[in-house]
Formats: sequence, structure tokens, C-alpha cells
Amino acid sequence: MTAISMGRRRRTWNALRIAGLSLFAIPWVLVPVWMVVVNSLKPAGEAASLDLALPTDLAALDNYGAVFTEGDYLRALGNSLLVTVPTVLVVLLVGAAASWVFARGRARWQQAVFYVIALSMLVPPTLIPTIFLLRQIGLTGTTLGYVLVLIGTRLGIVVFLTTGFIRSMPIDLEEAASIDGASRMQTFFRVLLPLATPILVVGAIMLVINVWGDFFFAQFLLTGTASQTLPLSLYSFANSSAQSLRWNLVFAHVVLSGLPLIIAFVFLQKRVIGGLTDGALKG
Amino acid sequence: MTVSNRTGRRAAVPSLRAGRTISGPPRPGPRGGSGTLRGLAKFAVPAYVLVGVFFLLPQVLNLYFAFTNWTTYSSAITFNGWDNIALLMEQGSLLHPVVVTVLYALIAMAFQNVIGLSLAYALRDSNRVNGFFRSIFFIPVLISPLAVGYIWRGLLKPDGPVNDFIGIVVPGFDWAWLGEPSTALAAVAFMDAWKWIGLTTVVYIAGINAVPGDVLEAARLDGASAWTSFWRITFPLLAPAFTFNVVSTLVGAFSAYDVIQASTGGGPGDSTRALYVELRMQWAQGNFGTGSALGLVVTLLVVVVAVPLVWYLRRRELRA
Repeated sequence: MTAISMGRRRRTWNALRIAGLSLFAIPWVLVPVWMVVVNSLKPAGEAASLDLALPTDLAALDNYGAVFTEGDYLRALGNSLLVTVPTVLVVLLVGAAASWVFARGRARWQQAVFYVIALSMLVPPTLIPTIFLLRQIGLTGTTLGYVLVLIGTRLGIVVFLTTGFIRSMPIDLEEAASIDGASRMQTFFRVLLPLATPILVVGAIMLVINVWGDFFFAQFLLTGTASQTLPLSLYSFANSSAQSLRWNLVFAHVVLSGLPLIIAFVFLQKRVIGGLTDGALKG
Repeated sequence: MTVSNRTGRRAAVPSLRAGRTISGPPRPGPRGGSGTLRGLAKFAVPAYVLVGVFFLLPQVLNLYFAFTNWTTYSSAITFNGWDNIALLMEQGSLLHPVVVTVLYALIAMAFQNVIGLSLAYALRDSNRVNGFFRSIFFIPVLISPLAVGYIWRGLLKPDGPVNDFIGIVVPGFDWAWLGEPSTALAAVAFMDAWKWIGLTTVVYIAGINAVPGDVLEAARLDGASAWTSFWRITFPLLAPAFTFNVVSTLVGAFSAYDVIQASTGGGPGDSTRALYVELRMQWAQGNFGTGSALGLVVTLLVVVVAVPLVWYLRRRELRA
């Protein structure tokens, strides 16, 4: 087979591959997204059938307005940030510090503890005793209690990934810092954290996705509308009418509550996908 | 498919082996002088406290609560042996949710890994077009599971877009995917898979790109077809990614709740009533003891399934 026909074959093959992927991506992602967006612009009657046609009558202002007023969108957005940002920061910091110990320490019991913490990645947290515990320490229904539970139950994944990462890192730089008279704390912040950044980025992405979308625990741990996060707000918004779902309103809420992560992703997509593929390797 | 791309990745292969341990033997860090370790241990204390109080302690408490008569109406929490299990069995609230949960997890895991691996293989090379598609397929990952439930509840409505599309071929098709017990469970499990496939894909892409390019090149020169070299070389070397994806998708699906709550609420009848959905119902009735028992069942399910699975898959990895 000549080089030219090989090249041509490869090009045809590539064109076929792209056509196939597009044919798959359209119903898989674009149609669902289109259905949500287009129906969020329609008045209730028109949206009831959820077809994919463009709206004949625009009700965007009414629908999105209702999400802000009835759904109390801004407060829910603020609450979601108030939960996600501290959780992610604390988990990364505390997780990285612990991983350093597990990666460099040699005591048997430390390895045993590492396994227990890594196991928390697989074993789902228990709900009812958690509520009991929060009640005992007076944090039931509060954002603080919820954040503490999220931190305690999400550390596993970060510790697991970061410990593996640090083990594969040469110890020289840490030793050099120690010889230069840097304290442990300085070494941690100046040497270890910067070196572990690739895997911490992976951890941060996983955490943001996981914490931002959490509904199960939020539903039980965040009582009261004042502390509602976005998923809770979506749920109560969708269930606020006695009849069937008001699709136009539900989808307007889905758009608005999905938007923050989607926007972040649009700007960071190269780093997110690249970080996950590279980081997954090294983790 | 540039050579530099593949060789560039090769450096990462040893770290993939060494790093991705789900339950591998502990590998002590490189030997440093005793000076390197002094004062290090205290850095793990905050993690001990947080995991200990907010993860471990509730697990221990759950072992007790699962065997108590605790309800909203009980004045004291007292031990009642196997009563909760017997009660749940009697109500049909134990075995049925276990079966639903396991089936849900198996279906979600199968969808996720078959589609995720196929997409990863199609998108394995890093270039502009593939970057675009990787991002497109990642969008569902960003949508909250609850929203996913609503979106697919809409798509799968009897007169919704999915049936409209099928209606082009089969006129008047109006199957209620979520309203019929025969399809509801598979449909909700599919939604769960749909949400996570983008992430599964990315992990598989990382695994595929870690396969040394020269081995594949050698196989090609020896006349191996793309099919053969995938199954004989790429797939065995994907073992760490495979372990990670299979275990995390399966175990993740054991805690099925959000998607179900938004789409079927456990129905029709009880055909999608997974363990956590049942737990929520017990909770709503103030039955905290039986609720805890259901929580314990989820934990046991994970331990009974995940630990042997990790062990088996890790052994397979080592042989590969």
C-alpha cells in the first residue's frame, strides 16, 4: 500500500469518525440542552408538550423572573458558594497536609489510618447518625454543620489521590528545604503545595462537581429555606405546584442553577479536561 | 496521532503503576534521614479529627442505631436486636430495595463503562476536534444529579422528544418509559450513567494515552489489526483505569437517590425504590431505627461488593 493511499484512507477514516461522533453528540448532549433552554423561554401551555420547536410566544422574563423571586435564586446561589468554597479549600489544605504524612511517613499505624481514610471514598456516609451527631453538638440544620460533614466525608478522595502523587515525587526538594532551615510549615506551603498542584487541581474539580450538586445530604442537613443551596431550591421550586411540573419554570431554574459551573467550564475547559487526564495518570 | 504525543506520555507510565493503588500494599516513602520526618506527623491531625468525627463516628453509631427502637415517638433509644430487620422484611422494605439498588448499579456501571470506553477510544488523540468533543461530552458531568432527573423526566415523557423521535419510525409511539415498571429502573440507571460518562471517558483517555506507543507500533508492524491490538495490548494495560472506573461507578450507584427522587420518586409502584429512597421514606415516618438499618445495608453492600472487586481487579492488573 502506497503512502498516498494510506494518507487518504486515514483521512476518510477520520472524517467518518467525526461524523459518527457528531451523530452521537447531537442526541446525547445537544438535544437535551436545547430542550431545556428552548422550553425555559415558553409560556406554561406551550412548554407542556416539551417539543423542540422555537417558542411562538416568549415568556422568558416571566419564567426567569419567577426563579429569582419565587425560587429565591440569588440567596440559593450565595448559599451554594458559602458551602462549596470553604469545603473545597479546607479539604484541599487538610487533605494535602495529611497526604504528606502518609506519603513520607513509615509507621505501620499511619498506613493503616491511610487505608481507613481512603476507604471513606468508597463507603457512603451514614445519614441518620450524622443528623444525631449534629444535634448533639448543636449544629443541626446549619450551614456550618453541613460543611463540616462534607469536609469529613470528602477528604478520602483527595487524600487517596494526593498520597499516591506525593509518593511518586522525589523527596529531594523537601530535604533541601529542611537543610536550608525551612520549618515544616514553610516547606509545606512553599515546596509541597506548589509541587502537588496538578493533583490538587484534579481534586478541586471532583470536589466542586460533587459538592455543588449534592442534594441527598443537603436535603437532610440543611433545614429551613434560609440556608437552601441551589439543588434544594430547585427541588422545592419544582414541587411548589400541586399539579404536574411546570416545565417552563423548572427548566428556567435548571438553566440558572447549572450556569455557574457551565460558565466556569467554558473558560477553564482546557485546564479541566487536561488536568483530569494528566492528573488521573499520576494520581 | 503524532509520535511526540505518545512518547511524551510515556514518561508517566511508571507513576501510573505505582500511584494508582486502591488497595495495594503500603509502599513506604523513600528513605530520608530521621530529620526529614521529624515534626511531620502532626500535619495529619486535622484530617484525623475531621474524618474521625464526621465520617467514622457516625459509621460506628450507625452500627448501634440499626439495632434500636429509635423513632420520633420513643422517649429513649434502646437496643431491640434484629427487630428492625424483621420489621423491614415484613414490610417488603429490605430485599426489594436491595435488588433495585444492585440492578440499578449494574445497569449504570455497564452503560458508563461501555460508552465511556468507546468514547475514550474514539477521542484518544489530543487535537482540536477531539478537545471539542471531550468538552461536549463533559457537559452532563457539570449538571447536578437532581437537574439530570428533571431533564430526562422531560425527555422521556410519553409525548416527549425521545418518543417523538422514535415516532418517526414507529408512528404514534408513546411508551411511558418512567411510568412502566418494566423500563423505569433501566431508565433511571441510564440517567445516572449519562451524567457521569464524561468523567469515565476522561479517565479512560488518560489510561489509553499511558499505553506505550512503541508497543502498539510494534504490534502494527507485526500485522495486528486495530481490533486485536486494542484487546490484546491497550485493554490489559488499561487495568488501573478500568479498576477505578468499574469500582467508582458501581459503588457510586449504590447511593442512588437524587436522580430517582427527581424523576420517578421511587415509582411506579416501588419499581425504582432504591435503598436510599426507602431510607428517606422511613425517615419521613420518623422510623430512625429502621432507617439506620437501611443505611447499614448500603454500607455492607459496598464492603461486600467493593472489597473483593478491588482485590480481584488489582490482581488482574498485576498479571497484565
